[in-house]
Amino acid sequence: MSESGSQDAWVYMEHQAGEFTGPSLEVLAAGRKVADKLGQKLVAVLLGTNIEKLAHIAIEYGADQAIYADHAELSNYGCLQYTRVLHQMAQKKRPHAMLFVADEIGRDLAPRLAYRLETGLATDNIELEVTDYFYPPTKTTYKNLMVQIRPDFATRVARIYTPRTRPQIATVRPGNFKPLPKNPMRKGEVIRFSGSLVDSDFKVVVEGMEDLPKSGVDLQGADCIVSLGLGILKDGKGNPRNPLEAYKLANELADTVAAKWGMKVEIGSSRGLIYAGLKELEGIITVDRQVGQTGKTVSPDIYFALGISGSVQHKVGMQRSAKIVAINLNPKAPIFEIAHYPIVGDLYEVVPKIIEEIRRG
Amino acid sequence: MLIISLLKGVPARTTQIVTVGGVLNREQMEIVMNPHDKKTIEAADYIKRIRGGKIVLVSMGPDAKLTPIIKGLFHSEVEGIDEAVILSDRKMAGADTWATSYTIAKGIKKILAVNKTAVDRLIAALRETKESFQKTAEDLYTANLLPNKIYSPLPSVKDSIVTQLVQGKRSLDETERMLVDEKQNLLQFVIVTGIKSTDGETGSVGPQLAEALSNELGTTIPHVTYIHDFIISGRNTVSAERKILGKLERVRIPFPCLVTIADEYRSRSVPSAAKKEVRANSYGGKILQPQVWNCDQIEADASKVGLAGSPTLVGPGYDIGGPRVRKMVGQSIVTVREVKAFNINGKSYGPFKKGDLVDGLDQRALEHLKQGDDIDTFDYKDLITDLFG
Repeated sequence: MSESGSQDAWVYMEHQAGEFTGPSLEVLAAGRKVADKLGQKLVAVLLGTNIEKLAHIAIEYGADQAIYADHAELSNYGCLQYTRVLHQMAQKKRPHAMLFVADEIGRDLAPRLAYRLETGLATDNIELEVTDYFYPPTKTTYKNLMVQIRPDFATRVARIYTPRTRPQIATVRPGNFKPLPKNPMRKGEVIRFSGSLVDSDFKVVVEGMEDLPKSGVDLQGADCIVSLGLGILKDGKGNPRNPLEAYKLANELADTVAAKWGMKVEIGSSRGLIYAGLKELEGIITVDRQVGQTGKTVSPDIYFALGISGSVQHKVGMQRSAKIVAINLNPKAPIFEIAHYPIVGDLYEVVPKIIEEIRRG
Repeated sequence: MLIISLLKGVPARTTQIVTVGGVLNREQMEIVMNPHDKKTIEAADYIKRIRGGKIVLVSMGPDAKLTPIIKGLFHSEVEGIDEAVILSDRKMAGADTWATSYTIAKGIKKILAVNKTAVDRLIAALRETKESFQKTAEDLYTANLLPNKIYSPLPSVKDSIVTQLVQGKRSLDETERMLVDEKQNLLQFVIVTGIKSTDGETGSVGPQLAEALSNELGTTIPHVTYIHDFIISGRNTVSAERKILGKLERVRIPFPCLVTIADEYRSRSVPSAAKKEVRANSYGGKILQPQVWNCDQIEADASKVGLAGSPTLVGPGYDIGGPRVRKMVGQSIVTVREVKAFNINGKSYGPFKKGDLVDGLDQRALEHLKQGDDIDTFDYKDLITDLFG
């Protein structure tokens, strides 16, 4: 869609069993920031069945307006059906920006919709800003563009702009914005939208869904994370170490912190350690412990990085931690660039000292 | 049937990145196959073993870099790909996912057209002499454009459409109808892609290509992402499993379609019963030299490819900033108690709270604080206090 006459920031809200998902509320908070900077409305967009009540709750969570499409055919997520209705909504109301959660649904739906709307998509954003943007090739300044900030392979953190087309579509990684408090006094307009689906929207048939066994690891809910990287394989003298030793040390630290301050502590890992496929850590350091771009984005009060060198991909997953303690033998390890408490040293010596100090204090 | 497998060339090492204004310059880097694409060839091979057909690999990027990678895939651990097309044109450089999807859709449209045209040529030759018809069939077969069921020199294939006609078992009209059906069957393709690439990490091209191709072909091409297991059920349906939002979802998706294959995919074993049908649907061999097509050859609108056709732009990036205060155990100097503001030679310092980092103060101020026993080296005890209060 062309850029003329577009307005408002839209957030596509996912919901399950009559409630918004946590990440959706985070993205609504991200949308609030964008809408405020634009001086325009924040619009929550909902698809499903029997969701009028939920649309009102979106207002309480910070939206100025909620648009919902309530159809029996929309009761479960289907990319083609949802793309159809969102496309119709966007064509009719011409939003300036449109945000999705960067999860399996957002990554499925936003691309297809963006293509159909002939507009740009920036995925996995960790921050959003609004600015005027001068585009040299056409010597044009575009007003109030959304700056979509995402981790990037080439330039570490990249700013992505969608200057010429609307809406500017972005997915936002969970773990980067805090949901706004629910305020039952907030008022806003709730609008019902009637979409029309066609036969070909039903080509994909969902035959069944079942719950997968839940992971016992809750990185995003932890107050403190003790993470391990490939640096645990060697000590300060360069001797090889059994990684289980480091795992036990990390657990001891975790247990000590949990016992002393009643914090919720989890063991995390770098991607490198998980995919090294070490026999000793099989079934212990599993994918659900991965912190980083392809794992979880976390922002605990305290983050211990033990033997983690700190690739960009890891850093973007934990840089928002309130206090980062990094222990590494290599003084040039990139993790030290973002650590509040860099400790150049042997984790097999340093961690016991920290544990001892906690117990003593 | 056509099984189209997508491949992306990605930088081999993150330390070797060459960018021009935030856009990767693939011509100047060592390029390898996107690791997430390895499973697509395994999945494509599974479809071929169960249904027959040929695997056509499609990639966009500098052909000089991609050709060596692709050549290794004609004989990989599985049976490997059969043909390859590289979409290579300077105009295509700097494409975002929208422009990439548009370009690849145009490329796939051309692959379909080439294979359809081959059948059309055979149909046109029907009314020529028997020798000329047979010669046309043979040439097209050698070019890997006809499956065994239309024409085959293999002794094991006795009843190809061409053989039946030549032996007088079918009329010309009947043969033409059968060939037209076969031409239509070419539309029953499957595209397999990786879930994402290791450079862009967006995972957007799968869904966007399905949409772009729907647009180009005028029919909805559905897609399903994150498939970790699938079978081909019925004649032309993929029955697949995927994990989304902590749930296991079982879906059915009809041909033609696009599926993205998760890293944990492992192809199933293939029942041997279908051998005859597999042979009939298969093609003569492999075309070992990738074809290289430019923008004009795929009839792409130059304003929709590459940087010019990309709705998104990459602005200047920046480093993830460091923390404002950095305390080092055994090194940093911190205050051990609250210190009121003080003056030395008209210059004012403080006030300081307990634990404030004072490394950056000038020598005189530090000396003053030291004399008052107000400062000390930051130690493990201080670290614990800082962390846990």
